[in-house]
Amino acid sequence: MKKASLPGILAAFVIAALAVALPSFAGAYPLQVARNVILYMALAVSWDMLLRSGQISFGIAGLFGFGAYASVLAVLRGGMDPWLSILFAALLSGILSFAIGLAILRLRLMYFSITTLALAEILRIIIHNLHDFSGGPEGVVLEGSIAGGNASALYLLSLAGLAVAIGTSLYFEKSKLHLALTAIRNNETSARSSGVDIFRYLLIAFVASSAIQGMMGGIYVQSYGFATPESVFDANFTLLPLAMALLGGIHSTIGPMLGAILLGLAAEWLKLQIPYGHLVVYGIIIIIVILFMPKGLYGLARGGRKSS
Amino acid sequence: MEESWSSTCATASKRNKTMATIAGAAAFVALAIWKPTVLIYGTQQAGLYASIAIPMGLVLGIVHIVNLAHGEFMMVAAYAAYSLSMATGMDPLIALIPTAAATSLFGFLVYRLTIRNALKAPELNQLILTFGLGITLSQITNILFTSQTRKLSLDYVSASVTIGELSFGIWSFVFVAAAIAMTVGLKLFLTRTMMGKAAVAVGQNPRGAAIVGIDVDRTYGFIFALALAMVGAVGALFLTKSSIFPGVGGPFTMKSFCLVAMAGVGNIPGILAASLLLGLSEAFLRVFRELRGWADIVFFVLIIAVILGRSLKERKS
Repeated sequence: MKKASLPGILAAFVIAALAVALPSFAGAYPLQVARNVILYMALAVSWDMLLRSGQISFGIAGLFGFGAYASVLAVLRGGMDPWLSILFAALLSGILSFAIGLAILRLRLMYFSITTLALAEILRIIIHNLHDFSGGPEGVVLEGSIAGGNASALYLLSLAGLAVAIGTSLYFEKSKLHLALTAIRNNETSARSSGVDIFRYLLIAFVASSAIQGMMGGIYVQSYGFATPESVFDANFTLLPLAMALLGGIHSTIGPMLGAILLGLAAEWLKLQIPYGHLVVYGIIIIIVILFMPKGLYGLARGGRKSS
Repeated sequence: MEESWSSTCATASKRNKTMATIAGAAAFVALAIWKPTVLIYGTQQAGLYASIAIPMGLVLGIVHIVNLAHGEFMMVAAYAAYSLSMATGMDPLIALIPTAAATSLFGFLVYRLTIRNALKAPELNQLILTFGLGITLSQITNILFTSQTRKLSLDYVSASVTIGELSFGIWSFVFVAAAIAMTVGLKLFLTRTMMGKAAVAVGQNPRGAAIVGIDVDRTYGFIFALALAMVGAVGALFLTKSSIFPGVGGPFTMKSFCLVAMAGVGNIPGILAASLLLGLSEAFLRVFRELRGWADIVFFVLIIAVILGRSLKERKS
């Protein structure tokens, strides 16, 4: 296993310190942009965690929306503390994905992907139709945002969510799990014959990445104070993290983070340039990355360093 | 030993098939007596589903690509037909022919420029690539036409028939006709023509086909263009009946994939049966006021049930 270099660790500390200190020198708008970037970064990293096993999930929006509703309904219907409800969202998403995973993690390739996409739709339709409980198509409104809507607090909350995502992903990268997942991706049969308990590792990765997605849904919804099926189950919550991870470089923690920063900032700028249809950029980036640099930017940099 | 096992298997599956056919026919008759409208509208919807799914089945069966931009190609074709009939006053039914040709050409170009280069890549890359193509197509349409819905008003679409107390629209049966025409046409093409036979061979074993001198690359391109011509025609037909907007195609990608997976890859008549099941169950749920919102879920439950069922069966054998 590769040891992290000293300059690398130092750089990571500086960046982390800057990220934590951002509210003390940035205004409301940059903080808002940063929150968006952080949200998508956490989703991109969590998506990659499962992808390392070779399983592509198209269901990020489903778990995100499920977590959002779990959190909002726990507060509204169960009178739960909003902060606690975020953990509750993570827990419930984890439990749900455990149950789902038992059934669908035996599927491979396109069958797994399509099933996750279908499950996301099922969750959305259920929320859409449970009028009395979930508020139906009109959604539900909380009494207010968490922490009174204080911009710095909301930013730090998102950052905490991201820290959980990155921490889990780094732990996965350094632990035995990483070897197991990589083995499954590269050659499942040989992984199985060398005694890797494939199903168990897939389940761990699936539950962990889903819990993070649910948690981010909880953070999102508590920050904005309302949820509608269309806003929290938006397909963009699947699409954007996927494009970011691909651009930055999949099968790593740094790649998706890099992609999230680049695309997240670019998206803010493009939103002003092309109000309708700025997502076309995401589509084109996906196509170009797949065709010309399937390893992403981080992969290119890593490959370049190796060959030089 | 093995032979006898497979023959018992065959008889068992034959018996299952007969039973399923009988049960299906009984349900059909019961439905016709109890709620004829469910039968009529369900069948019409099934025709639409099938006519969009069949081209996807063709591509998946021969080129082995899951085209996640399938529905978006249909949407683009509908917009092309819309623009053509707005510009020239042409009826979309006539615009169908140039639309099919243009969609075929456009699809072929997209195939050559993108998908063809990912044929040898892992399936992951192909899925994500076509996913990206779909977004690009719908977003470009969004930029060009805005997200406003568009619709043509055509007289013949509201044609209806009254039998006794029952009155229903008949125009949508055009989709049923299209689906049947495609199934029969493809069957003839794949079994009677040289090109079609070669395509089947390529679908079964591309390397073997290449060894016996079939140009695999050309066959792939041809089949993709053929499928896109069908998609183009369906897009123009779709325009006659429905409003269009940039996101209108997306759901059909999934529905088509579900139907193809239900039928089994390479089984085009099976797509008709699967579409009928989906169309009728949706129409059935729509009868009940309180269940109406749940009709959309049928399809997704069905897709998961089918995929899980298939994976179970595969593991057993």
